[in-house]
Formats: sequence, structure tokens, C-alpha cells
Amino acid sequence: MSATPSGRRPGTTTLAAGPSPAPAEPRPGRSYRQLFDSRLLPILLVAPAIVVIGGLIGYPVIRTAWLSFTDADLSSLVSGEMSFIGLDNYIEALSDPTLRRAAIATVAFGLACVVGTMLVGIAVALLLNRAFRGRTLLSVLVLLPWAIPNVAASLVWRWIFHDQYGVLNWALSSLGLSSFDGFAWFNNWFTAFVVIGVVVIWQSFPLVSLVLLAGLQTISADVMEAAKIDGTTAWQRTRLIVLPLLKPLLLVLIVISTIWDFKIFDQIYILSGGGPARRTEVLAFTAYREAFTQSEFGLGSALAMILFIILIIVTIVYIRLIKDEEPTR
Amino acid sequence: MTALSASRPAMTAARARRRRRTTSVLTHLAALAVGVFSVFPLFWMVLTSVKPQSEIVTPEPVWWPSSFEFDRYPFVLEAGFTAYLRNSLLVAAGTTLLGLVVATFAGYALARFNLPLRRYLVLLILTTQLFPLVVLLIPLFIVMRNLGLLGSLWGLVIAYLAFITPLTIWILRGFFLSIPTDLEEAAQIDGCTRFGAMWRVILPLAGPGIAASAIFAWIAAWNEFLMALTFIRADEQRTLPVALAQFAGLEQTDHGAIMAASTMFTVPVVIFFLFVHKRLTTGMVAGAVKG
Repeated sequence: MSATPSGRRPGTTTLAAGPSPAPAEPRPGRSYRQLFDSRLLPILLVAPAIVVIGGLIGYPVIRTAWLSFTDADLSSLVSGEMSFIGLDNYIEALSDPTLRRAAIATVAFGLACVVGTMLVGIAVALLLNRAFRGRTLLSVLVLLPWAIPNVAASLVWRWIFHDQYGVLNWALSSLGLSSFDGFAWFNNWFTAFVVIGVVVIWQSFPLVSLVLLAGLQTISADVMEAAKIDGTTAWQRTRLIVLPLLKPLLLVLIVISTIWDFKIFDQIYILSGGGPARRTEVLAFTAYREAFTQSEFGLGSALAMILFIILIIVTIVYIRLIKDEEPTR
Repeated sequence: MTALSASRPAMTAARARRRRRTTSVLTHLAALAVGVFSVFPLFWMVLTSVKPQSEIVTPEPVWWPSSFEFDRYPFVLEAGFTAYLRNSLLVAAGTTLLGLVVATFAGYALARFNLPLRRYLVLLILTTQLFPLVVLLIPLFIVMRNLGLLGSLWGLVIAYLAFITPLTIWILRGFFLSIPTDLEEAAQIDGCTRFGAMWRVILPLAGPGIAASAIFAWIAAWNEFLMALTFIRADEQRTLPVALAQFAGLEQTDHGAIMAASTMFTVPVVIFFLFVHKRLTTGMVAGAVKG
């Protein structure tokens, strides 16, 4: 290789290596530069990332796990004193009705959001895959909700769902549903969750639609045409051809949505603040609240760990599903 | 279609036409509904911010204002948002720069070199997406408190690296994987060092991908709420999302001003976003497929 002449080390003066030395060949005369390039350079390149990930993710996770077994509070931040209390925080998290409700809400509400997001996302993707005038425009417009920051999106929807001056209550009551006249969505935990769910779905369906649309466009037109000639209905084609072909993509999207929707915080903070009576709290919110407004760092850590464990379990289940899927394809 | 109409010509042709028309009408109606659902909130946000006060608080919505009032924007800026805007810009820019340097090198190394434990590193980077921010929040808060970084924008920049680095590594790795390795080999034969081959040949080629990841990192830092809420206590250090949430809490009834502040917060993101969305989705999907 022409790189050898630039080698300043005596070790590289093996001029006998002139007739093309294969770079992969492990030879004693290998230059320091080659060693640097193949061994040290890659490590130097990933080192900063490992420091960042280790220091900002690895260490905190281990520390949170540790704190979750202690009674750390505000005073222990100053003195560094805290005592080990075993599983007490976890026991409290599962026995206290408010905290337990937050754990259940995380799963139930999170799954509802995933289902909603997937349904809307699939429907919009199928729509955008049809030919109609204005399709290009619509595929850009659909992106807008994804681009809007959580806080801004929550504030707009709060305004749309406003009890007295909100557009939605006006629209619903002018459609004849007079019970929505001045209806206070945030006074009831269920309707408050409905609003939060609408915002979450509104923000997350564009990604699902976009990715699925890309997948849909890879399905060959011939297959669809053949199925059409065989006399299938549009619904049959969707169910029997399109969805099975998109299955791997759908599974990945479900995993991504689940990971997002189980961690919701911003929308709840802005829209309901966890109310009424702490009934719309989910684990991310409750952990924050216990730790930073009640200074119960130990309990907050335990709640955060429970959320983390739930996410790990759900992901493992999904990965199993994906793995089971693969041999049949 | 042709096979069927050959057997029963007249009737099916008419029925098929009618059916096609119904489908077309339904498609357009669905498209309209999706369009309204997607755009209306944004439209309503901007419109509310420029309506006269008397047309905001009405039992029946006013769809188009009788006159446009833009003075809410200077009002909001004077209410402290100039500083919040500056803070947000600084944090987003700092996070993007730092995160990008770290992620470009790592993404390249993970795409090209046979690192020990590479498989596990890639897997680890993917798993970090699982980690809820709250899990990191408490220890980071304690460490920053002890280091005196609470209330410093630098603290926020460092904290943001926690979630920005893994995702940008992931996206950039996907981009690097899509560039053929021949180019580096050719550059090395021409006398480039291994690092030079990456720096002079591959990075310029990955330029669009790097730009897309930069914008992505910028948007993520610009939008982040939970960490900013926890780590920044002094009012003059706040970033936009937290300031906006606080403003909306204090000025419960001034819907016009809240929407004006929201608009200012949203518009830069939307503009950036429309530039890069194509690259982002392809980057993410490519990375996922080649995992």
C-alpha cells in the first residue's frame, strides 16, 4: 500500500513487503499507524459517546435504583444521610390507592393511546395511499401536529376544549348535544383523560401514517390488481394482503408508540395537572410530583423504577411477538 | 374489472361507475376530515392570537376577525419572553453542537469499525429509548445541585445530551451505513489517513444527514419540558416551554396572549420540521431495518 513510505518508524522499513501487503494480514511488521487505525481510532471515536451515555444515563439509572430502597428526602440532599428501608417504597407504591391508581392508569391509558394512534395512523396511511386531488398537500398538512411542541399543542387543545368559550363545546351543542353546553371536561377524570388522549393521538399519528405510507408504496401494484380481478373487496384486500405485509413495520411502530405513550408527562402537566383529585396522574407525573414537590426522593425513585420495569416488560413481550413472527415469513 | 364487464356488460358498468363516484366522494370527505383535524388547532392558535379580545371570548366562535391585532406579540415579548427566547436558543444551539460532535464520531465508528462489543453498544443505544426521563431526573438533580449547576443553562445542556446523543447516534449510523465503504478505501489508497478518509470524504457526503440530525436535536432541545421544569429555578433562566406553561398558569384568562406566546414558540419548529421530515423518517427507518 502506498501508505507505507510515510511511516517513520523503523518497523515499517520492511521494503520486502512491496508487492501488495494485504491490510488484514496480521504481520509482525505492521505499522503503528495501522494499529492505531484499526484498534485505537474506533475506540477514540466512541469514547465520548460512552462517557455521555455512561455518565448521564448509566449512572443515574443505577443511582435511582439505589435511591428507591432508601428514605431520601430534602434533608438527605444536604447531609447525604439516608437510611436503607428495603422494599418499603415499593410496598407503599402498590398499597397506597392514589399511587396504585397511577400505575394502573399508566398502563390502561397508555395502551388506549397506542390503540388510538395506530387506528388513526393506519386509516390516514390507507387514505393517503389512494389517488385523489390534493393528496400531496394533505400529506404535508398531516405532518403539522407532529411538529408542534407538546406544551404548545396542549395549550391549544386546552383552549379548544375550554368549557365556556371552547370551539368544541360550541360545535357539539350546536349539533344538538345540549349536554355539552359549558361542559367542563377537566372536572371528571374520564373526560380529562379523553382530552389528554386526543392530544397524544393528534401528536403521534403522523409518524405512524408516514412510515406506513412508505411501506404501503412498496407493495406491488400487480398483486393488488390480481386480487382485484379475483373479485375481492377493498376491505378483504386490506385485511388479507396489506396488513400482513405491513406487519413487521406495524410491530415496530407499536413498540415506539408504547414507549412514548407510557412516559407521557407534558400533556398531563399542562392539561389536567393530574386532577381532579390526583385521578389523572400517571407514573411519570406521580414520580415527578413525589420527588420534586413533596421532596420524597426515595418514593419518587421507586415510582420511576416501577415505570421503567413496566416498560421493560412490555418491550420484552413485544420482542417475543416479533421473534415469533419471523420464522413464518 | 374488464373480465367482469365482459360477462354482464351494461348493468355492471353503470354500477361500477356509480360505485366509483361514491368511493371518490367518501375519499374526499375523509381527506377533508383528516385535513381539518390536523390543521385546525394550529389555525385556531394563530387566529386567536390576532383576534380582538371581544371576539375571543364569545359563546359562538368568530371564524374570521373583524380586525387583526398584532400588539399581543410585543406585549408577550416584554413580559419576559425576550429572555426566555434567548435562553431557549442558547440551550438548543449548545446541545445541538455538543451532541452532534459526540454522535457523529460514535455513529461513524459504529457503522464502520469492528469494535469489541459493537452489537451490545448498538443495542444499548436503542435501549436508552426505553428509559423514562424521570428515571434520570432525580440523580441528575442531586448531582447538579451539588455541582452548583442548578439554575445554569449549562446544566440543562449537559442534561439534554442524555437523550439527544443516543437518538442522533442512531440516526447518523443509519446515514453512514448507506454510504458505500469503497470511498474510504479509495481515499486511503490516495494517501489519506483513516481519520482523514472519514473527515474529508465521508463527513461531507453525510452532510445532509448530519444537517437533518442537527435540526432534529435542535427541535428536541427546544421542546424539552420536564428537565427544564426541574433544573431551572430562577425565572430569568427559564426556557420557553416552561415559561409558556407558567405564563398560561398565571394569565388563565388572557387566551389571546397565551396563543401568541404559543405561536412564537411553535413557528420556528414547524419551519425547521418541514425542511427535514423526509430525511428524518428515512433515517429512522433505515437505521431500524439495518439494525
